[in-house]
Amino acid sequence: MSRRIFVGVFEHEADVIEAAGASREHGFEFVDAYTPYAVHGLDRAMGLERSWLPWACLGLGAAGLGFATWLQFWTMTVAWPINVGGRPWNSLPAFVPVMFELTVLCAGVGVVITFVIARRLGPGRTPEIPNIRVTDDRFVLVLDAGASDPRVVRRVFEHCHAVTIEERDVEDRR
Amino acid sequence: MTGALALSVGVVLAPERAWANVLLAGYALTGLGLAGTFFVALTYASDATWATAFRRVPESMTRVLPAAAVVLGLLFVLHPSLYPWTLEDAAEVGGFKHLWLTTPFFLVRALLYFGVWISFAAALVRNSRRQDEDGDAAWTRRNIRLSAIFLVLFALTCFLASVDWVMSLTPHWYSTMFGVYNFAGLFQSGLATMILIVIWLRRAGPLRGVVHDDHLHDLGKLLFAFSTFWMYIWFSQYMLIWYANIPEETVYFIPRMQGAWQPLMIVNLVLNWAVPLLALMARPMKRHAGMLTKVALAVLVGRWLDLYLMILPTVSPAAPPIGPSEIGAALLTAGLFLRVFTGAFQQAAPVPVKDPFLSESLHYHS
Repeated sequence: MSRRIFVGVFEHEADVIEAAGASREHGFEFVDAYTPYAVHGLDRAMGLERSWLPWACLGLGAAGLGFATWLQFWTMTVAWPINVGGRPWNSLPAFVPVMFELTVLCAGVGVVITFVIARRLGPGRTPEIPNIRVTDDRFVLVLDAGASDPRVVRRVFEHCHAVTIEERDVEDRR
Repeated sequence: MTGALALSVGVVLAPERAWANVLLAGYALTGLGLAGTFFVALTYASDATWATAFRRVPESMTRVLPAAAVVLGLLFVLHPSLYPWTLEDAAEVGGFKHLWLTTPFFLVRALLYFGVWISFAAALVRNSRRQDEDGDAAWTRRNIRLSAIFLVLFALTCFLASVDWVMSLTPHWYSTMFGVYNFAGLFQSGLATMILIVIWLRRAGPLRGVVHDDHLHDLGKLLFAFSTFWMYIWFSQYMLIWYANIPEETVYFIPRMQGAWQPLMIVNLVLNWAVPLLALMARPMKRHAGMLTKVALAVLVGRWLDLYLMILPTVSPAAPPIGPSEIGAALLTAGLFLRVFTGAFQQAAPVPVKDPFLSESLHYHS
């Protein structure tokens, strides 16, 4: 399946934020925004919803914590109890460092892997870059052209000092 | 005033305890002043522009350092015998410690610490205020250089001061984590204080329209992070001592984990760590002024309890004391801090009006 998109290229950070805000007011549908660095406030202008990744992070952290607790409890008291200086088998203070580290490790690494999978990134995938200069100094806003009037989109983008505006057909890989 | 009065009553009733509370008050005030200075220096040295909008708050906090020096000075001069090593036979403490822990050297070091802190804090604040007049970026550059030097000196002096003033209350005990542990509590409580003041000033007027939820969000993140840092350091100290189980090290924890001290020890961990961790984990909570206020208050009570648990068991190992001295010390600290802070804050514009980074800070998105 292919679909029609608008690609607006902007020269300044403020312009792309303005264009995103105006597009939202006009009810255009966003495909994505491409910027050479994280532009603060762009997510707000686009009206993006909060990501669900923090919840994934929390879950992964809890899983890491649970795993570390179980692993140490089971190895140290059930599977292979060792007498360390006469302490009880089940000595919680000694377990805490590993519990902490595994929580952080699972949450940190796990959330990156989750992100890569959720966004279908990773090795072997050719990135879709609408305009090569987003890797340098340009800002790009991509809209779904399906529902909107091309003339209105052009007018809005031009009003926000777009450098180029093009309509394109792309393969829909959603 | 009432605080000072109650403390004087305490001095008559139970002198040893009252002086321990003087130490608690003076050390807590020092911590707040240092946290302000450290925050200002940190933001300068790291080119952090988000905090410029409310930088006058930590700047004014630094002004409590001289007051703290007076409170601690009273203790060191009038009642040095709070420190057991002043009475013990020097040879008994042994080794390097009997060279380090001598009254004249102790006083010289205290003067040196406060000299460094007060002069750097005063210079940073003075340069920042002068910039209000001419808007010259050279003041910022000068402060960046001062901040870098201060941060190094601060690391050393803050560590040594905690060893001198608190750890040496039990001269035979030592913990290499102690300085970091004290720094963690110092910065955490300083952040909590800044959050309370910033929210209050935003509501009262001077910072209305200047400080946004984004600024609160970042302060909340820092408080959240440093609560966990504090717990990390607290536990690092505890676990090493628990694991090694050497009598000369466990001597610190034994009185603090027995009798009525034990529940306080647990409450300390709850207030300083569990409350901020759970309450501030979600993003909307870090941006919510009401929630931040509650958590910051919990952390401040926790900080007081933390210092109480460091200091008071050395004079009252049997049970946690509460009386005119304890209440007096808390009132004295709060009263003195608020009076000095409001005085200092009113001396200059509530916002560094000509700071080159102000506009960036006003439009900050976290």
